[in-house]
Amino acid sequence: MTPEIAQDPPSKSIASIGMGRIVDRSETAAEAGLPCVVEFRNVSKTYNAGRRNAFTAIENINFRVRDLPGHGELVCVLGPSGCGKSTILRLIAGLPPQHPPTTGEVLVGGAPVLRPGADRGMVFQDYTSFDHRTVLENITFGLECMGVDRRRRRELGYEWIEHVGLDPKHDALKYPHELSGGMRQRVAIARSLILRPRIILMDEPFGALDPQTRMNMQDLLLSLWRESEATIFFVTHSIEEAVFLADRIYIMSKAPGTILRELWVEPSDRPARQMQGDPRFLETVNYVRNLITQLELEGRIAEGTT
Amino acid sequence: MPEAHSPQNDIPPSAAPPARPEQAAAESADVIVRRSRPPVRPFRGLRSEISTGGTLLLGLCGILAVLAVWWLLTRGETPEQRWLSPTLLPSPAETFADFPRLWFEEELTRNAAVSLRRVVLGFGLAALIGVPVGILCGCFRSLGALLAPLLIVGRNIPVAALIPLTFFWFGIGEQQKMMFIFIASVAFVVIDSANAVGEISGRYIDTAYTLGASRRQIITKVIVPLAMPSIFNSLRLLFGIAFGYIMLAELVRLGSEAGGLGFIINAAQRRGMRTYILLILMIIPLIALAVDRLLYWIQRQLFPYYYGSEGWLHRALVLVLRGCEDVAAMFRRPAEPPLALSRSADQSRAPGSGPGPAAPQSETKKP
Repeated sequence: MTPEIAQDPPSKSIASIGMGRIVDRSETAAEAGLPCVVEFRNVSKTYNAGRRNAFTAIENINFRVRDLPGHGELVCVLGPSGCGKSTILRLIAGLPPQHPPTTGEVLVGGAPVLRPGADRGMVFQDYTSFDHRTVLENITFGLECMGVDRRRRRELGYEWIEHVGLDPKHDALKYPHELSGGMRQRVAIARSLILRPRIILMDEPFGALDPQTRMNMQDLLLSLWRESEATIFFVTHSIEEAVFLADRIYIMSKAPGTILRELWVEPSDRPARQMQGDPRFLETVNYVRNLITQLELEGRIAEGTT
Repeated sequence: MPEAHSPQNDIPPSAAPPARPEQAAAESADVIVRRSRPPVRPFRGLRSEISTGGTLLLGLCGILAVLAVWWLLTRGETPEQRWLSPTLLPSPAETFADFPRLWFEEELTRNAAVSLRRVVLGFGLAALIGVPVGILCGCFRSLGALLAPLLIVGRNIPVAALIPLTFFWFGIGEQQKMMFIFIASVAFVVIDSANAVGEISGRYIDTAYTLGASRRQIITKVIVPLAMPSIFNSLRLLFGIAFGYIMLAELVRLGSEAGGLGFIINAAQRRGMRTYILLILMIIPLIALAVDRLLYWIQRQLFPYYYGSEGWLHRALVLVLRGCEDVAAMFRRPAEPPLALSRSADQSRAPGSGPGPAAPQSETKKP
């Protein structure tokens, strides 16, 4: 129960590939010089500030995700329900009412976020396929808004239907209500990725799926991500999911949400089903689980003493 | 106008069609427990389903019961033998015997058509103006707040009291009838349309924003199509109510403007023809029902994704919209789509990126 971890001495080793162990790693000097894809500077969000029902969702969030050349990072935000994980995503997306932050700055590509845009695609937990559009029309919605002509949309749409594992012949003209949960999320992923966003925001996208489908979707996501250069922010409360998917995990506290710990994780080298049954993988998951318990306990003690 | 009606009455939640697997599961469970199934008790199960035949049969029983009571109350040769005198209520036989006279002498079909035309024109105008205004009210809360007082007045005004005013404003012709229907129903159309927009889940709008849609595109491509089934449903219910209002407008007459079912009732009243009044009272619901079913059919064909129908009208509409898009496309240059998939797939082999999903195990370093 002691995967190699080192929080303090920053070693320069690059993340190796394997069983999702925790890696002792921090930014190399070369990386520190790179521009940031996403940067949070002292970001807090308080709803109904100054009133009796004021609620602070996140407090003093600081992090940087560097723009690595030719390769995006998969960042998981792990925390209990209602800890402000979604607030972080929606701040990056620029969606009201989370946007704008109460204090601090959210920078994407070095510039403050002003409004939502197609460069930051988002996949939600709820099924958000447009009920009145077929699978093909759903997937090509963004292209339609850009003004791409219909024949081109159709071509690309079919390409992506196949690419996310749907059947172009049978599924393209179906309406969302004829699809299962997993298929709907495939549509949602294709709909975002067809626009080739720099950043993909995923808000517990597999939360409502059964474990089998969920693992299939995790594999799909990794394969799609590896061929794109996008940075993925993936919000989840499942430790297994975070350890399996992530390059980096941010562990968040209960509301008001703060980042308790940053963990680097080995990228996984095998499909979800093999990986998530392996004792060495489970060891890491257990380690993270205990770490969270310990961090929570420390937080409570700190609260009690102050 | 009853305010309790909900525009969603007939709209199943969008999740309704995919309930099929559950149904199948219920059927298979049915097979297993059939032996121990209790005997059928039609009034036992709360909200339990009954067959179409059963529905019709029970409805027929209801009609027969009313006819039987009517027949009992008006039984007898002479007025003295009856419980109710013929001046109060003619017997069923007398009433139905007068139907041919009503049909031919009073030109029933022509008058029904006149009434229907007035409602269709008046209500059509209300829908034409009310639906867009309502959608804009739903999209922009400030416009909604601006119109709110007007709508509250429009909704709570006693419609009958409007009739004298409409005579001053629109004279005594067809226009007055039409405008009366318009004024009586437009506020309801606006309110229901605004509510339909308000009920669209915000996550659709968020999704559209993150896919790069502009505000105008979200209104035309997301909000309007998603609100339309609910709006159409409430229009259908409101049409039934507007059809009731036309009687009011036709019964109150100045001068000699003529035509309409209300006109026949009015004339029959002066001549003491109770049978005509009764017959028309029976005919009106039948016409209303027929119109309602027609509108329901249109609704089903327009929104196949809610009702699981063939969607003929929807397909026709899609063809028209595509035609419009293609015509518009001739006048502007199409945008370039983002990088095609096949090209970007090659780039994933660039150094620094992780191994492909099917990367052989030998490539990976063991920790």
